[in-house]
Amino acid sequence: MISKETMHHCEADCQADLQGDCSVCALSSTAAKYRHSKMSNSIAQAHKTVDQLRFEAQIERIRVSKAAADLQAYCEQHARDDPLLVGVPASENPFKEKKSCIVL
Amino acid sequence: MAAVAAEDSELDVDALRREAETLRSRLEEERRKSNDVQLRDVASKLEQVPSLQMKVRRVLKGHQGKVLAMDWSTDKRRLVSSSQDGKVIVWDAFANKQERVLSMPTTWIMSCAFAPTGDIIACGGLDNKCTVFPIDKDMENPERKKRTIAMHTSYMSCCRFVKSDYQILTCSGDCTCALWDVDSSQLMQSFHGHISDVLCLDISPVHCRTFLSGSSDKTASLWDIRTGRCVHSFDGHDGDINGVKFFPTGESFVTASDDGTCRLYDLRADREVALYTKDCMIFAATCVDISKSGRLMFAGYNDYTVNVWDVLKCVRVGRIYAHDNKVTCLQRSPDGTAVCSGSWDTTLKLWA
Repeated sequence: MISKETMHHCEADCQADLQGDCSVCALSSTAAKYRHSKMSNSIAQAHKTVDQLRFEAQIERIRVSKAAADLQAYCEQHARDDPLLVGVPASENPFKEKKSCIVL
Repeated sequence: MAAVAAEDSELDVDALRREAETLRSRLEEERRKSNDVQLRDVASKLEQVPSLQMKVRRVLKGHQGKVLAMDWSTDKRRLVSSSQDGKVIVWDAFANKQERVLSMPTTWIMSCAFAPTGDIIACGGLDNKCTVFPIDKDMENPERKKRTIAMHTSYMSCCRFVKSDYQILTCSGDCTCALWDVDSSQLMQSFHGHISDVLCLDISPVHCRTFLSGSSDKTASLWDIRTGRCVHSFDGHDGDINGVKFFPTGESFVTASDDGTCRLYDLRADREVALYTKDCMIFAATCVDISKSGRLMFAGYNDYTVNVWDVLKCVRVGRIYAHDNKVTCLQRSPDGTAVCSGSWDTTLKLWA
């Protein structure tokens, strides 16, 4: 049989703390410690998130037009040295067959 | 007593949440402002890529199970592959020969890596560990000399040597990445921030100070190796990021995702700058690499094909019906002459 006090008892009123159990809902002090540490963990997590966001917010960004121009410049500069792009003759590519028959 | 403390804490958390929201909106606004033009428009005046003549040059047969991962050696001729059947094979790709076959005690070896000197290989997967084997020429029985370097609390999805034989970076289903000293097996740095499995990593080609990770949480993150800090985080994908690869300048990178798309992100612009997809593409992209000049991007998909994309014009320039089952791994050779792909069909193929 649950008493009226227990039914209306809520977390805010709970007397359980790090020192002792709550006389109304019988929440033990161990459980209260757990709840307290869970709360600290969420604060720690929230602090971490905000720190990370603050860090990312102060990064200097360049415009996509500049990034795109740099990408294009690199590709054009190195196009000649790209065997997969310009192709190399079979004699220079170790993976392309040179021989037409195999001597067994 | 506890009630008052709890209330104060709740207020703190609320205040922090509100600040986080404000910062997020500000970040979005900054990123929108820098998006003044599309990459494909800038590249519209470029000549088209010459038509590709890629043919299969080697078929490496030997695995009895799905090939899950591969890595080239710096000598441009050998490569290592690992499989669901627990075997790790070192191949001479020129000669199409198996140099060594190593047996692991567990199946599902999800990653393997060649050390820069070519004397060690690292591998691991569902065993939650990264194991190294010495394979220098005189080593008779590598399995006897194997050592466990890394321990995670979930599967290890990728391992890579950090520019020398002495350090390995791993990433795992336990949502973290970690840096290990090979000689002492000590954990040197751990990288926390992802909220779901980390599936892939790539080390900066320019220096060894940063690396990228891709995760099931649909974000890619750039990390400072020394401090363990997450420097940038990028979202945009609608599915797990299965593959991540730096552009040769180290200032951009491409990703391959379960959402069927590949994307190009720029670190200095701090945003996505290109999307590679077609309406009909619904199969997951599992692996990605870039040609030496950065102009071509090769991506492997679950529909058994490898698609070749023009990175600048953002169009597909080739489609290779590469395998008889899902393509799981793909890597360009160190000198850029060939691309190797591995598949659930138990083979690896070289394309040039």
